[in-house]
Amino acid sequence: MASKFGLAGGIPERRVRPIWDAVDSRQFKNALKLVTSLLSKYPKSPYALALKALVCERMGKTDEALSVCLEAKELLYKDDSSLMDDLTLSTLQIVLQRLDHLDLATSCYAHACGKFPNNLELMMGLFNCYVREYSFVRQQQTAIKMYKLAGEERFLLWAVCSIQLQVLCDKSGEKLLLLAEGLIKKHIASHSMHEPEALMVYISLLEQQSKYNDALEVLSGDLGSLLMIEVDKLRIQGRLLARANDYSAAIDVYKKILELSPDDWECFLHYLGCLLEDDSIWKYFDNIDQIHPTKLIECKFSHLTEEMFDSRISSASDLVQKLQRDTENTNLRGPYLAELEIEKRKLLYGKKNDNKLLESLLQYFLKFGHLACYASDVEACLQVLAPHKKVELVGMLVKNSDSVSASATKVLGQTTTILKVQELTGNIFELPLDEIEASAVTLAKLYCQNLPLSKDLDPQESMFGEELLSLISNMLVQLFWRTRDFGYLAEAIMVLELGLTIRGHVWQYKILLLHIYSYIGALPLAFERYKALDVKNILTETVSHHILRQMLESPMWVDLSSLLNDYLKFMDDHLRESADLTFLAYRHRNYSKVIEFVLFKQRLQHSNQYQAARVEASLLQLKQNANSIEEEERILENLKSGVQLVELSNDIGSKTLRFNEDMQTRPWWTPCPEKNYLLGPFEEISYCPKENVNQDREENVKRAIQKKCLLPRIIYLSIQCSSTALKESVETNGSGSDLKICGELKLLLEEYAKLLGSSLSDAVDMITQISQGARSSESLGSDLMDWLNFAVFWNAWSLSSHEHWHMLDLLFEKLIQERIRSIGSSKMSSCYSDVQVLVQIITEPLAWHGLIIQSCTRSSLPSGKKKKKTQHSDHLASSPMSQAIKDSVQSLCSTLQEVSNWLLSQMNNPEVDQLERFLSTLKRNDDAGGGPGQVLAVLESFIASSEESEVGNRIFEALKSWNTADAARKTVMAQERVLREFLQICESKRKLLETLKQQMSHI
Amino acid sequence: MTTIRRFSCNDLLRFTSVNLDHLTETFNMSFYMTYLARWPDYFHVSEAPGNRVMGYIMGKVEGQGESWHGHVTAVTVSPEYRRQQLAKKLMNLLEDISDKIDKGYFVDLFVRASNTPAIKMYEKLGYIIYRRVLRYYSGEEDGLDMRKALSRDVEKKSVIPLKRPITPDELEYD
Repeated sequence: MASKFGLAGGIPERRVRPIWDAVDSRQFKNALKLVTSLLSKYPKSPYALALKALVCERMGKTDEALSVCLEAKELLYKDDSSLMDDLTLSTLQIVLQRLDHLDLATSCYAHACGKFPNNLELMMGLFNCYVREYSFVRQQQTAIKMYKLAGEERFLLWAVCSIQLQVLCDKSGEKLLLLAEGLIKKHIASHSMHEPEALMVYISLLEQQSKYNDALEVLSGDLGSLLMIEVDKLRIQGRLLARANDYSAAIDVYKKILELSPDDWECFLHYLGCLLEDDSIWKYFDNIDQIHPTKLIECKFSHLTEEMFDSRISSASDLVQKLQRDTENTNLRGPYLAELEIEKRKLLYGKKNDNKLLESLLQYFLKFGHLACYASDVEACLQVLAPHKKVELVGMLVKNSDSVSASATKVLGQTTTILKVQELTGNIFELPLDEIEASAVTLAKLYCQNLPLSKDLDPQESMFGEELLSLISNMLVQLFWRTRDFGYLAEAIMVLELGLTIRGHVWQYKILLLHIYSYIGALPLAFERYKALDVKNILTETVSHHILRQMLESPMWVDLSSLLNDYLKFMDDHLRESADLTFLAYRHRNYSKVIEFVLFKQRLQHSNQYQAARVEASLLQLKQNANSIEEEERILENLKSGVQLVELSNDIGSKTLRFNEDMQTRPWWTPCPEKNYLLGPFEEISYCPKENVNQDREENVKRAIQKKCLLPRIIYLSIQCSSTALKESVETNGSGSDLKICGELKLLLEEYAKLLGSSLSDAVDMITQISQGARSSESLGSDLMDWLNFAVFWNAWSLSSHEHWHMLDLLFEKLIQERIRSIGSSKMSSCYSDVQVLVQIITEPLAWHGLIIQSCTRSSLPSGKKKKKTQHSDHLASSPMSQAIKDSVQSLCSTLQEVSNWLLSQMNNPEVDQLERFLSTLKRNDDAGGGPGQVLAVLESFIASSEESEVGNRIFEALKSWNTADAARKTVMAQERVLREFLQICESKRKLLETLKQQMSHI
Repeated sequence: MTTIRRFSCNDLLRFTSVNLDHLTETFNMSFYMTYLARWPDYFHVSEAPGNRVMGYIMGKVEGQGESWHGHVTAVTVSPEYRRQQLAKKLMNLLEDISDKIDKGYFVDLFVRASNTPAIKMYEKLGYIIYRRVLRYYSGEEDGLDMRKALSRDVEKKSVIPLKRPITPDELEYD
């Protein structure tokens, strides 16, 4: 702001500066005092008023701020021209933006521009307003006016960007692009062009219209010299040629680039694509949204005869060999990986060259196998190999790994690589149990042997062999999946925790641990490990999927609430400030970034996680306060009775959701939040490639969000419906407004059933049959909670039916008991998923049902103390519905009691016993030979025998501080904490029901 | 196998495994986007096959007169791709742009005084410790201001080390 000081609305700077200083240093009271005194001297100054509004807004007095803004606006509109300046307007804009009244700021600027049509500063302000509003048409109109006024290149480009945005975002006709092209051409003819970014926009404009040859002409003309980095220019040239199907010219360009930078992978792929006349690589070019790693590059060969294919491939081989010779001493991976790509294409074409491909993979291994990136470099090649060839490859790598001559670090690197390849190929799933066990033990030994290598490393640096512990833990998890022996999971925890004790910075360990802890119900520890990842800013969008789902289904509401709030705050802040940054890009003439920023903002706005988190945050509040109908009504009022969320639900159906999460970092056994292999029986899975999970997710995630969005409104309507139901059950005529409410509720229930894939009547049949035992609850599948919700609200819609109440009671009883039984029969490891379901039943459908009961009873209670029991209330008490409510309360109470009893029985075990039980799973039974505990035994015996001189002081101290029992204790305590939180919830619900029972008996 | 290209917003969604590393700071959005909006040529990412992010560099150009220079704000490489001289390639690129396009006199950067591995690497790349900035990092740890002269600084005046340490408020630029 400092640079803007001058005479504002006739006020001298020395009077204004202290106010800004006070605002900047957050001394708002002082600022208000200063501004009040300023206003006493300049009561009619819009600028002084704008300053007052600014201070008020910062102090949280939003109503006052808005009314002061309006006062200022009124003064501005009065015909007093001297008061209209950018400083006043931009100050007002700051306040109005924060008050969510951008429209008012825009109209002030529009008015000012109307008054002073030749003031460029004001027009820029107006343009900025339209940027904030994402009104691309108005942006264009304003920019054109500015261009006409000043003739500057930048304003023309502002207009062109605004046109491109209309085409990209508003799906406006592409004819507009022709208009933009014409404007640029005319400008170049008279003024030429001076900015490289302007040239880029011009080329992209031509490319958007598929005018590749025109673009090439521009690039090779005088303007081409604006691009100063040669390689950048060549890349554009190659792309344009390829897209214009001028493959032979493109090939020459790409060759040139490869000679300049032989390690350029993308360029090599383009080169190969042109050689094979395969345009599939450009398919994604205009779709700049691609953020997920491309695994298998699509290849198209059908148009090539074998002879053509052979000759093209052989010229590619010639080039690659030349590149290999040229870079012999540089250790560049590029030319060697290119060789693999050529062999891969040959195989895909149908050549029987798999042995040659294996040979090339081996050669690449001998050269780069010690690097941590070998496995991911060759992942795409592994995919095209037949299963038995994958096995053969692993065998070849093992046989040829250099165990004699090479340095210890190289051997370690190669060994790690082989294991990673084995993981990627899925080979490991076919090995017998004892081989996997033996392998894990060998790795543990290898880890210990190599610890001395890291002796002198700075603690900040990655240690040698760090990855081995992740690999061991993956093996142990697989052993658990196959045997259901909990000891393996316990051992995986110990291995990773020990790893963190030795070096606390390894995020891979933290992620693996958080998933194992979540699986066994030690959520507080899982959350702790998650927090240790220091996930903030944009990482909340890409990383929080690791923990969010478990937390949503847990009783840890406080932590969940902070998780959701942090995430939503980040997203909302960005969505709010993004336009300002876009304007910054306009001002600095980086036009390509303008387009990028707008598209990125849209991408985040349509993030599936963001949409889900918004509704989940509201539902969490409702869950947390469901024991008090008054609180709940207050929350619903803040949620505008759920109306907006219903609109969101309708909107989402037609929108594309974005999936921005980075799933690559998830462990193999839970490739996306909805999937966890460990919950089902063992099957061979190949996780190479880790399936592209997002494709299947979109429809499911969309439906899930849509369903949740309906809930607040349905809850609101159910409360309304039930508040009069009891009275009406003994009176005959209902009021008109009730009919309307019930009508809307029924519509939403139909909608809800539809999202469950069912008609209303079929849905009712389904829940009825399940409650009667005619169908098993398994037919509800993973939508169990939604079906229960449906049953609850169906009952709310038809409260007068005694059968419905009874059916619902049975349903709760049955489903809850089923879960308790299932927990009783399972081992300690897998019971948490049942607890998760119980938590959800009790905190969601059962809680909503509790609300409906609260609403029924509240309305039937005498409203004042003086009122005595009347004949009317006798009617109520003896009505069938009142009896149904009483029965329901009774039934829920005893069901909840059962849950509490189970929880208490778990928690009554002394900690020592639980700890003992946990540790006993790790104890080896020497007679049996195998089993869990072997890896830990290796690590523990190393710890016992290690010496400081060998591993260095830091590692030595870490090893000595390790205590298996401590880690185990933390785990069981975390498990218990979850149960305790859950018990509290159950007890609070039961108390509520007891109170309701009391109240009912007084009716 | 490396493709180095301009960093784009979508890369923010792809750099997770680089940024989960404890030494790599994840800044707020306006920080990244201000760099992208103002100095897009100083923000580059390097990709491996399968479009994996290997590392990135962000920086800017600023200063007046003979202190017009390129600045490295952050350079980071994922552990999976270390020991392949990637940081060097990224640094060279930024130096090249500062030298040839913006005609700066030098490139500078700040590093924690305790971060020995990084200091050694920068020294190998030709940077010298120009001066120490007392309590530069959150008022606690000292920072080292390291510099490398570019071709425009013919007499290498910009890299004559200062004798005394300075305090953060004496810094010309943030």
